[in-house]
Amino acid sequence: MDTLSYLGQGFGVALSPYNLVTALSGTLIGTVVGLLPGLGPINGVALLIPIAFALGLPPESALILLAAVYLGCEYGGRISSILLNIPGEASTVMTTLDGYPMARQGLAGVALSLSAWSSFIGAFIATCGMVLFAPLLAKWAIAFGPAEYFVLMVFAIVALGGMAGDKPLKTFIAALIGLFLSAVGIDANSGVYRFTGDSVHLADGIQFVVLVLGLFSVSEILLLLEKTHHGHEAVKATGRMLFNFKEAASVFVVNVRCGLLGFIMGVLPGAGATLASAVAYMTEKRIAGETGKFGKGDARGLAAPETAIGASCCGALVPMLTLGVPGSGTTAVMIGALTLYNITPGPLLFEQQPDIVWGLIASLFIANIMLVILNIPMIRIFTRILAVPNWALVPVIAIITAIGVYAVHATTFDLFLMVGIGIMGYILRKLDFPLSPILLGFILGGLMEQNLRRALSISNGELGILWSSPISMGVWVLVFCMLTLPLLRIWRKRSLQRRAMADA
Amino acid sequence: MAPAMPVFAGKPAPTEPASNEDFLMILQRIFALALLAVCAALAVMAWPYQAAFSYEPVGPRAYPLLMLGLMSLGLLYLAIRPTPIVRKDDEPELDRETLIKIAACVGLLIIFAGTFEALGFILSAILVGVPMARLYGGRWLHSSLVVVGMSLLLYWLFDRVMDVPLPLGLLSVLEN
Repeated sequence: MDTLSYLGQGFGVALSPYNLVTALSGTLIGTVVGLLPGLGPINGVALLIPIAFALGLPPESALILLAAVYLGCEYGGRISSILLNIPGEASTVMTTLDGYPMARQGLAGVALSLSAWSSFIGAFIATCGMVLFAPLLAKWAIAFGPAEYFVLMVFAIVALGGMAGDKPLKTFIAALIGLFLSAVGIDANSGVYRFTGDSVHLADGIQFVVLVLGLFSVSEILLLLEKTHHGHEAVKATGRMLFNFKEAASVFVVNVRCGLLGFIMGVLPGAGATLASAVAYMTEKRIAGETGKFGKGDARGLAAPETAIGASCCGALVPMLTLGVPGSGTTAVMIGALTLYNITPGPLLFEQQPDIVWGLIASLFIANIMLVILNIPMIRIFTRILAVPNWALVPVIAIITAIGVYAVHATTFDLFLMVGIGIMGYILRKLDFPLSPILLGFILGGLMEQNLRRALSISNGELGILWSSPISMGVWVLVFCMLTLPLLRIWRKRSLQRRAMADA
Repeated sequence: MAPAMPVFAGKPAPTEPASNEDFLMILQRIFALALLAVCAALAVMAWPYQAAFSYEPVGPRAYPLLMLGLMSLGLLYLAIRPTPIVRKDDEPELDRETLIKIAACVGLLIIFAGTFEALGFILSAILVGVPMARLYGGRWLHSSLVVVGMSLLLYWLFDRVMDVPLPLGLLSVLEN
């Protein structure tokens, strides 16, 4: 019953006119950002951090704004997938498979509204799951000591490599780069300046916003130079805009199944929306079997990944809010934003600042409803945004990125640092390194070091404390499983290849 | 082994992409070794980090060294056995032209950073934005119109409406 009264309190926060306007503008900005090529949820959320701070938004409104932008970006990504056959971001690749064929058959409006509806159901299921499980997890997590936290963070990092699959080594290296970068600056415990090269600007470390915008915006600007984008011709969204009852009913089972799946995948660190949508699509394709027209415009093939994306986005907020351990790049950015407000997400957040937590959960419900309502009448305007050519878009992205970076500290040093990080990010991308592990490592690094040192202080330097409690032992076992997962996968691939060679 | 098939089929092998892939592999090795050298340098840099007074068993040196050590192990493996790079279909090859464009774009960004405070936001945004729009294929007139309009609009939006202070630089004479 407690949970329900807290939720009611949360709706009280989220339904205040001020926060409603915040959520509405967040969803609008998010949708446009998600729509534009080269800007995804990570950039969208990161760009808004300094703005939210400058506007003097109270922490709960700022968090609502960022969450609304996050959801909006995921929504916006689908529009270009369905109408242009160009996935706005990695997670919407699966949406193009059946969404674009549907649009080609003159069902563009139906596809768009049906995907919005699916995503809404997914988010709804996940938000319900969050209401049920997050307080339990938070209650359990209070028992965590520094040693358990340290092991948990090791697990989060390792899970990234284990789940991401195809390039575990590069994922680990990227995460380690992030973990290392978090050590730059003054060491809080001893006052030693680390890796600052006697520069005043680096004394309090690399600014989070600078790192994010450098890695993602600047490197994307450089990547866009290669792609010759001649204003793609979008499929016209004409005719019936709204799906009918029959269509909604035909995908409802798929919605529920993929919603649950997406929620679980979202909660697990490292899995995230990309993997959730792929697994959901593949599972539904197998379940449908011969009867499905998957890949040729099957409504189920559109609903499955969209539901999973919607669910996993909300699911990813669970570990962030309860444990303070982000599971994806975007939630890492949100933790970065919260630390600007001096709020440390974690189990105590539920007790000390219920307004923030439950206000956020309630605003997720509201933002999802807003997105469904917005999507239908605004589609025409959104499709027009898709026609903006790169030459007009890129300079504006560059200028806004610079504003975002400058707003943090008002020094040009940060701008130079951003360009440097951007070049590094571009090279890493060219060499096929994933970038979001760097971000996660950067956020987790500081926490990880603090917890490690605290744990070892408690035990007076005895390393045994790291695996003394049953919780930490359990997590170590999970870490070990995650480490062997990619090896197992490589081994299986090799043996399959060998068999194929033997057959040939 | 699908990629090797055309060679056996007697067709002229597409040499360009293959050499490009080899090039990327070598590039990957060079990158891994360079980053390894950076790790070593940083480790040397971290060596003297000791707390003058210490109340805890783990000082400020252990964690960075641990990370650098693990990273070096990974990089060493990558240098010995680089993983093949899967290229997406819409990603064109890196030729001289794109590299020049990228260098120009980086140069513009550095100029932007350098002139941001001296010239002020509006002027530096115009100075950098117009050539950048040209770089992405805009025409002079269109680019100038869009960039000038956007930098004025963004200045107004951020500095005046949203309270994000931006430098006026040279234009501050106009303001009083």
